[in-house]
Amino acid sequence: MIITKSWLNEWIDIKGKSGAELCKTFNSIGLEVDRHEVYSVPKKIVIGKVLECEEHPDADKLNVCKVDIGTSVRQIVCGASNVRADIYVAVATIGAVMPGGLKIKPVELRGIESVGMICSSTELGLPKLEDGIMVLDESIGSLKLGSELSQNPYFNDDLIELELTANRGDCLSINGVARDLSAAFDIEIKERPKAQIEEKQVGIGRILHLNHSKNADVDLMYKALKKSDFTLPLLLRLRLSMVEEVCQSAIDALLFYATYSSGVILRAYGYSAFPIEQEKAQITLAQDEDDYAVVQGLEKASTVGIVQYDSSRVTDEDEIMIIEASYIQPDVISRKMAEKKIENGPLFYRTSRGSEPDLDFGLEYCQELFNTYAQTEIYGGTLELRSSYEEKVLHMSIKDINNIIGMDVDKTYITQLLKNLGFGVLKSQTGQIVISVPQFRHDVSHDQDIVEEIVRLIGIDNIPSQAYSFTEKVHKNDASVFFAKRKHYRQRAADCGFFESVQFVFNERAVLQEFDFPLVEEKLDLLNPIAGTLDTLRSTLLLGLVEASSANTKVGRKQVKLFEVGSVFDAQRNESIKMAFSFSGADSVEGVRNNGKPNAIGFEKFVQIISNVIGDFELREVELSHGLAHPYQSAEMLVKGEVIGSLFKLHPSVAKKYDLESTYLCELDFDTLKFTLDVFSSFSKFQASYRDLSVVIPKSLKYADLKDVITQVQSAEVIRFYPVDTYESEELGDNMSLTLRFMLQSEEKTLEEEDITSSMDTILSALNKELGIALR
Amino acid sequence: MTEWIEKIDSCDSTAAIEEIRIAVFGKKGVLAKAFAEMKSAPNEEKAKIAKELNEMKAKLNSALNEKKVILETQALKEAMKAEGIDVSLFSPLCERGATHPVMDTMDRVIEYFTNLNFSVETGPMVEDDFHNFEALNLPKYHPARDMQDTFYFKDETLLRTHTSPVQIRTMMNTQPPIRMIAPGSVFRRDFDITHTPMFHQIEGLLVDDKGKVSFANLKCILEGFLHYMFGDVEVRFRPSFFPFTEPSAEVDISCIFCKGDGCRVCSKTGWLEVLGCRIVDPNVFKAVGYKEVSGYAFGLGIERFAMLIHQIPDLRSLFEGDVRLLEQFR
Repeated sequence: MIITKSWLNEWIDIKGKSGAELCKTFNSIGLEVDRHEVYSVPKKIVIGKVLECEEHPDADKLNVCKVDIGTSVRQIVCGASNVRADIYVAVATIGAVMPGGLKIKPVELRGIESVGMICSSTELGLPKLEDGIMVLDESIGSLKLGSELSQNPYFNDDLIELELTANRGDCLSINGVARDLSAAFDIEIKERPKAQIEEKQVGIGRILHLNHSKNADVDLMYKALKKSDFTLPLLLRLRLSMVEEVCQSAIDALLFYATYSSGVILRAYGYSAFPIEQEKAQITLAQDEDDYAVVQGLEKASTVGIVQYDSSRVTDEDEIMIIEASYIQPDVISRKMAEKKIENGPLFYRTSRGSEPDLDFGLEYCQELFNTYAQTEIYGGTLELRSSYEEKVLHMSIKDINNIIGMDVDKTYITQLLKNLGFGVLKSQTGQIVISVPQFRHDVSHDQDIVEEIVRLIGIDNIPSQAYSFTEKVHKNDASVFFAKRKHYRQRAADCGFFESVQFVFNERAVLQEFDFPLVEEKLDLLNPIAGTLDTLRSTLLLGLVEASSANTKVGRKQVKLFEVGSVFDAQRNESIKMAFSFSGADSVEGVRNNGKPNAIGFEKFVQIISNVIGDFELREVELSHGLAHPYQSAEMLVKGEVIGSLFKLHPSVAKKYDLESTYLCELDFDTLKFTLDVFSSFSKFQASYRDLSVVIPKSLKYADLKDVITQVQSAEVIRFYPVDTYESEELGDNMSLTLRFMLQSEEKTLEEEDITSSMDTILSALNKELGIALR
Repeated sequence: MTEWIEKIDSCDSTAAIEEIRIAVFGKKGVLAKAFAEMKSAPNEEKAKIAKELNEMKAKLNSALNEKKVILETQALKEAMKAEGIDVSLFSPLCERGATHPVMDTMDRVIEYFTNLNFSVETGPMVEDDFHNFEALNLPKYHPARDMQDTFYFKDETLLRTHTSPVQIRTMMNTQPPIRMIAPGSVFRRDFDITHTPMFHQIEGLLVDDKGKVSFANLKCILEGFLHYMFGDVEVRFRPSFFPFTEPSAEVDISCIFCKGDGCRVCSKTGWLEVLGCRIVDPNVFKAVGYKEVSGYAFGLGIERFAMLIHQIPDLRSLFEGDVRLLEQFR
């Protein structure tokens, strides 16, 4: 909503307020200022009258004018096509400095002296109003020759653009903004002088009849005018161009101006658009096929609150035009639009946010404009149709109001403030207040709304802060534990060199499908995705990590270590939290220590680093169900026999597709990660012994199987064992040598040689018996 | 004997000094030999000789030890010199990764409010119309429910557009007093320089008996919070409108870049809008079956906070897993 100070000043006396003061006030009462511009015409631009205008003898497009500027008559050469005798113009006199920096000096144009310049609006730093020079008229005040334009308030104006919230349709007019300012400044709205308009003897009822089948939720009011030709006065053109409105005709422009000023929706129909019965044009209010309220003529003339159709516009042949003021409740029109959407435009913006319901006021203002600027003849009286409106009345206690605000506000102050805003304040008991809500404040429906009005006009910054006091409560719950756990693991991942990635929860369905990841069932999937590549919910964090790794590699990164903790969705769209890691490229940072040639990340190092983040786990060979994994380097991760996730090398063909070097990935169920406090267990105080065992095993034997056998029979003294070496040779053929290291320790004593030998013998004989394995 | 003193003085290695020690103090050394010879001396001279010999022994001993320390120190010095490296070759390359600034900011906000005894609550991302809109006083035909802004699923559920449904769920599951925050991902159908289809929010809610919670309380907690997050800034409240809450306000802080003088980031206004807040609308309480209560609510975008705090210029870069950005936050 754009307003100008001079325009606003027609409705409320704000002459004494500066532009900056207005902006500050608007901001503090909730009408946010988006833009503030100051228009000013330079000095030495005066009003002149073109007395004579003749063609330049030596130039086709130039005219030589005699211009009266009050003190003298100047000869000025002018190139504008619309210059002519008997018009009033803005003349830049000698010494004037134009906004563009041009300094006016006497010049000779093709042999003819020119003393000054006749200005266009843009040369004066104003918006463009017409081609050629700006022709002045009395709409800007009396045209006293020689008077400075810089003294004229219309040419020295503040333009302020307000960003209105959706509930403040009442401020979509100059009148409405003035009303809010009236409450903010405690200045009364100007009383509009009742214009003495002579109406024709003939009443509107003689030429027009209003039919309606059933009472729709709309208010309509009509006035009939004799059509007359007129040019839109300068002031209106200037203002309409400041609010960036372009109208097709002078009638449209005048109506728009009336709506913009008053807030009432106004439009004009041609008389010929309606059928004539019994010498009267028949206007019919009906419902159309979509259940919208429409004004029906020979054809559909308009949809109330939405649009006027071209066939019902005033034509050149029309002698009579019908002016209509209309109102439809914003929630009614918004609901209709939600139920059955039809094409709409700026008018719907107004009506869905709430236009001014006082149709009398709007129509009168419009009639006044036509009378002033078009000398139109007006038929007597009006025709109207009213919907029922139930006045909202709120009963409140001052104490409740003050409790919500948190400070004491005086009843007299509240009363005055509400009255200025157009609310009715009825007689009430002490400590109570009874408020009637004006129809234009459809957004106010309960106590809180009233408090909001008071708060914004007091200014929130003027309310002192006050600490709330409460009774302590224990608030530990699953959510607080989740965030603490997430932070813990994020920190650990970062400590181990991973960077946290945050991706959208969307993936491309086709890509998920390509790699055999679960898909959200078709019937549960997104209806209106924002892009083809984000058209479904992700069922894995892995694809996002692969893509991000690829992007990082493409910009020259030699090592990319990423992780994410985030939500994924299964086929039934159930949400769960996963934690995933990716490690791509070099296994360490290049440097002197590795001669600038770090190894590519390998399985062992990846497993080690993941375990540094999440703690101990075991690996078991597995065939993963998705297509990202290298089939011979995939593993399930187990903690205490429970599967917590999987890790694998990226499939070489996928790696190639994404331009990735050696890449390893891991995805875990976040819920299965440990987040409990560790408990102490006792340890032996005696010396530990180590013993290596080298056995020959078939290459096809999995270490896990061998381990199972040992676990079954190991004595209590065997604390730990782990593989330390493998050896293959031609001589060994399909077999290989594997060295295991055992750590043995007793709770009771330092182990002696025979204790150790006995433990190892048990293990060896079990290996021999179960797997046919012997010492090398 | 004095020639041994000279030998010790001119000795130049720890090995040589060991040889001398053996030659002098060893079982077959000169001292042992001298003491043995003393036995054959006349008795009246023995005491004198013994005294002289003992003095000489002490002298030799101290000379030897002194020299040994000097030589050992020197040997250590040389050994260390041989171990010398060019330390400047080894300026470290940090191999730590980093947590994401958005998640870190979220954690910081959570910490502030949990310290003030707020609870943390969560809810599903896939929501229904009731919790996301209707219970929040957003009528069926409200423009904010437009297909343009909300991700819908084919079964008429939707991706939550704010974390407010968590407030509704919490209110329906518990009774006042409530002091909670709801952090999480939210979704809007918008993708350009300043919007991403997913972003993160934290909303706060406080509900207590009627008359206990005021706008002045809301101001107080938010001022404290913004000072915690942004340091020494000015805080300004502007009345505004949110469909499901009244009175509502937008909260600005004085621009942290230009200190309020006006710059590109604050669009020359000197102020940065950082959060929205309000007194909770009675219709919302009605929807969850609360009577005779009062409360306030507030909400903020975590990306916005993270971008301001860390001076990150581009919102979309936060979702690209770009290590060039992330490694700046180690």
